[in-house]
Formats: sequence, C-alpha cells, structure tokens
Amino acid sequence: MAKKTFKGRPILPGTLEGEALVSKMPFNLTGSYFENMFAGNTESAPCTDANNPDLYQKDMKGAILCTSQCVGSTMGAGALMGVSEMGVGLKAFLFSSHIDSIAAGGLIIDDVWYDRRVITIDLLGDEFLEAVNTGDPISIKEDGTVEVG
Amino acid sequence: MDRRDFIKVSSSLAWGAVVFSPGTLFLRSDEAIAAMAPAASAQVPDFASAMLTSDMLGLGPDGKPTGQKATFTGASKANAKADEAAKHQMVLTAEEQAMLDGEKGEEVAKLMKILVLFGNTFGAEKLVDLGGAPHSNLYPGAPYLNSMIKMLDECAEAGLKSYAPYTVNPRPYDVYNVQNNTKEMEIVYDGYPLQKELDWVHARLGSPDLNIRSCACYIEEIGNAPEPGTYVAWAESSAVNYGNSALGIRTNRNGAGIDLICALAGKAPLFGLMTDEGRMATWLVDVKTSKEPDWGALGTAIGRKVVEDVPFIVGIDTYFEGGEITEDNLHLLKAMGSATAASGAVGLYHVENLTPDAKDKGRKLLAEGYETYVYDDAEEQKIISTFDNLWPEKDGDPTAAFIGCPHNTYHEMLKWGKLVTEALEKAGKEEAAIPVYMFCANVVRNRLIEEHGELAGKMRRANMLATPMCGVTWAGTKGFSDRVRGVTNSAKTRNYSTIRYFPDQTLVDIIVTGKMPA
Repeated sequence: MAKKTFKGRPILPGTLEGEALVSKMPFNLTGSYFENMFAGNTESAPCTDANNPDLYQKDMKGAILCTSQCVGSTMGAGALMGVSEMGVGLKAFLFSSHIDSIAAGGLIIDDVWYDRRVITIDLLGDEFLEAVNTGDPISIKEDGTVEVG
Repeated sequence: MDRRDFIKVSSSLAWGAVVFSPGTLFLRSDEAIAAMAPAASAQVPDFASAMLTSDMLGLGPDGKPTGQKATFTGASKANAKADEAAKHQMVLTAEEQAMLDGEKGEEVAKLMKILVLFGNTFGAEKLVDLGGAPHSNLYPGAPYLNSMIKMLDECAEAGLKSYAPYTVNPRPYDVYNVQNNTKEMEIVYDGYPLQKELDWVHARLGSPDLNIRSCACYIEEIGNAPEPGTYVAWAESSAVNYGNSALGIRTNRNGAGIDLICALAGKAPLFGLMTDEGRMATWLVDVKTSKEPDWGALGTAIGRKVVEDVPFIVGIDTYFEGGEITEDNLHLLKAMGSATAASGAVGLYHVENLTPDAKDKGRKLLAEGYETYVYDDAEEQKIISTFDNLWPEKDGDPTAAFIGCPHNTYHEMLKWGKLVTEALEKAGKEEAAIPVYMFCANVVRNRLIEEHGELAGKMRRANMLATPMCGVTWAGTKGFSDRVRGVTNSAKTRNYSTIRYFPDQTLVDIIVTGKMPA
C-alpha cells in the first residue's frame, strides 16, 4: 500500500515502529479492560468491550492503538495506569480527534509519576482513522508525524 | 441536631490527630498483581462490573456510535488543529515555576508537571488557585487502582495534604446493612482488597470522616457547597453537574486522579467549564410538559441530546417555590442533573430564573447559533418507552427497591419514610414486601434518628434500610441481575444497570405488595 503521512500533536512524544490495531469507533477505556481490571489476567489484554466489533477479544498488549478518542467511566485513568503497571498496556495511543480528559489524565499521570510512557499523539485528523487499518505498518516520529503503510 | 457545616467543621479537624504511622500499607506492584490473580481461569468474576451502558459510552439509544467528539470537559475541541494546539503553553507565576522546579519537594514538582502537561493539552491559559473544598470520586479499593493509590500514598508519606479538608464518594460496599451474607461478602472482599489502603490514604490527605462519605457532598448535613464562582476541581459526574449548575461553582468534569492532584497542589488548569466561554449554553431546552416532568426522564432526554454540551433549560423554574433552590427541593435538580451526566456527559446546565449563572445573566448565556430541543408530554413518553425491562426473568416479582442515587437528602429520607410507612399502615402491614435500601450518608441517617426517631424506628421495622454505600456500584457487579430484580427512583441507576425505573407512587405500590403494577 502507498505510504500516507499524518501530522498530529505529540502529547507524550516518542519514536516507534510497529503494526496498527484500529478501533474505528471510540475506545471504551474501562469497558475494554475488564479482564485485566477484574479477572486477574496479567499476561495479556484481550478487549472485553463486546460493543466494539473492531477490537473485541483482540489482544491489546503492547499495541499501537488507533482510534478517534476514548469514552467510558471517569475511572478510566485508573484502568490505564493499572494495565500499565501489569505490563500489558499500550505502546502508543494515536487519536484522530482531540484527546479526552480521562485518557489524558491517566496517560500523563503514569508518564510523570512512574516514568511509564505510552507514546500519545492526538489531532491526527479524520483522514488518519479512515486510512489506517489493523495490521498496517505504522511509523511514529518524535514530532508527532505518523506514517501509515 | 448539630448540623454539619463542612468548612467550619473541617477546619477544626486536627490534622495532627491522625498521628499513627504504620508506614506504607498498600501493595507493592508485584503484590497487587498477585492479588489480581484468578483462582482458576481469567473469566470475569462476580465482582466485575456488568454495566449495560456507561456515561460517555459514545453510543446512542439505538446502540450505535454517535460519532461524538466529546472531551468530557464541556469544551468542544472538534475544530482543534494539531499545530496550534502543540504550540500552546500556559503561563506560570514565579511561585508555580518554583514548585515545578522542585523548591517544594520532588512530589510537588511531579504534581505540577502533571497539571501543566494536562492543562496545556486542553489549552488552559493558566493555573488558578482553588477555593472551597475538593470532592473526590476515588472510592473503590480495586486492585487495578493500585498505581493511583500508591501515588497518593507517596504524597501522604511526603507530608502533603489537600489545600482543604475534602469529601469523597461513598464506599463501594456495606457488609452491615446490605451485603451481610457470605456470597455478597465474598464478592466485595475479593473485589476491593485495597479498600483499607484507600481509606487510609484519604484520611491522611484530608478526608478522615467516613460518616460524611457521599456523592451528594453539597447537602446541608455535609456542607461541601462552595460559594458561586469558586474554582474547585471536583470529580464525580453528579456532584460536578450539581455543583457547577445549582451552586454556581467552577469545576471541570475531572477523572479520578486529576481531582486529587489539583487538591494537593491547590491549583487547577483554567479551561472548559471553569471559564465564562465554556459556560455558555449551546442548547435551549424548552420544557413544555402539561404537568411536573418526570425529572429522571427529562435528565435522560437532555443527556442523550446534548451529550457534553451545556443546555439552558426553560419552563421548570415554576416547580421551585419562590424561584429558589432549597434543601427541600434540590433533589429535583439532583435527579435530573445526575441523569444528564449518566446518559450523556453533561457537566453544567442552566435553569432559567433559578440557577446562579442563569439568574445573573439570563438568556445572554445562550451562545450564538444555539440549537433548540423541545421536551413535551410526547417526548417524555418516547423517552420512558426506551426504558426496557432488562431483568433476565422478565415476568418475575421484584426483590429489592433502590432509593437514592445520588444519595438521598434529608428531605427525601423523610418523604420516603412517610410515603412507605403510611402506605403500609393503610394496607394493614408493618413490613414492606421487599427490602428498601435507602442510600444516604451516615450523617443524614443520624439526623433522621435524632429528629424523627419514631419514624426512623418504623422505617427500620418496615425493612427500609439506611446504608451509606454506593448503590449503583452494587448493581454493577456481575451476576447481580441473577440475584436481584431491582426497582428504583433513580434514572442514573437505571442507566447503569438492570434495575427498573418507576415513578414514586408506582414504587410505593410495588414496595407494599411485592408485585409489579398490572
């Protein structure tokens, strides 16, 4: 596939290459991590949000997750920190829209307090989410540039 | 009774009274992870939440994604551009810069770094000093919150405290009045192994009194009701919603963690619902029902329509005598507002001629190009018709009533006590057909006992059980709907669970007979 380049805002910058895991619909922070939050799974992070056909039961451990934004309970920041502590969190979180306050809180607190960084870029634009599909190669640059393909 | 004035009482709390120091009580990461280990498999166990819907789920009533671009701050960022957003840097005072640079210690520097990064992310112009008192929604001692609790414990160990004594949401269980059986006890003790650690962290940071634990922190008996215009950083969707709207305070709709970081720093980034611009209404909600609206249905309708935008509501001030919000009528706004925050993510609404901002500025609060939503009798019926029967055994008899989410006010405790006990007397009964859980802070229950002891006794004998726990948390546990067929007066509870919502008089009939209405 032809390479496409998008420029976002690096909230927690970094450099990374890998494969995309894509949720075309908003990502439910708490609803997606039930098995890690409540069922004792510390080895993998299967998505437990049955409302999300893109991700349901897919392992999100170490993923580069591409979505529009997060939704769900205001306890979501704790969920992000929890999976990070377990070692099954994301490597990168790429948002087409403006990041929401719940995800931002959890990601920033975890980064500053525990030095556990999930590369976070938002405002990549609707075209980014339209272009990217699960399994696509992704390259993330320090300045918030994301290459797909 | 000796009424609680939160600020007065709290300022007299002896910080030094909490002197014993058992050291770090919470789990290390490896211990916490071990505590999460399943007995046999990784199936979601009974203590897991089984929420059917969630605030901010991003799904409409039809179950399909709404395409919302909510940031849950009340501040739409739909048109934000990456380049401009990336350049934004808030301006810090010399004192704040010194805090950031570590002059007040490593922990304060980290807190400030978090706030600056968070504020810059949302375009905050500066940090503001907070007043009043904080309110935190960090209430469940669940293992996945270990990192959050550990961070706060490190702050407590460093001697940090909230800028003022604060209030906290209710605890997630009550093994005296509600979960006093082996099955439920197993669920809550497995589910909340860090409850002791969380309670202890709150005690040291500024919230040691479990008798004032409540989501309705603003009621008279608790008294966390800052003056209009006060900047605070609250978390708890219903409290934020009530505080911004009915009290006129200025807070964003914070997630767990950011609230307490602001409390410890005594500062919050200024953006969203804390600003004049962010408090402008983009919806006019015109209530034209022929009689008093069903407040829960109205709130549900508004939340679904506006998602996180600010509505300006007209046509309901007539239900508030003298155009004032009082301890005897605030429950109407509590019911409506909490539903807007549960079915949507509304952090602020204005009511014409009633709420502080609306009294001050009137329809000047309507932003240019605002949209209009008419709520009439037909719309109310349409909304109520979407409240499906979600009980697994649809024709079964109800087994419990859940009254008060958010927590009951004193007025509501009296009202429900009289409604139910008088209906029972009329039916020649002393005891309700099903247990009636009356969710309220202990201080509210205590006031009822002190001022209406005879009624409190009757209520107890009637199986009306006052409990300080969070009811909706219990309703969210997996398997709950197999154990309990609940009925409620709370549209918020309905939104989050299988519990069915009914008008007050219908609920009284159900409570007396134990049967559903024909």
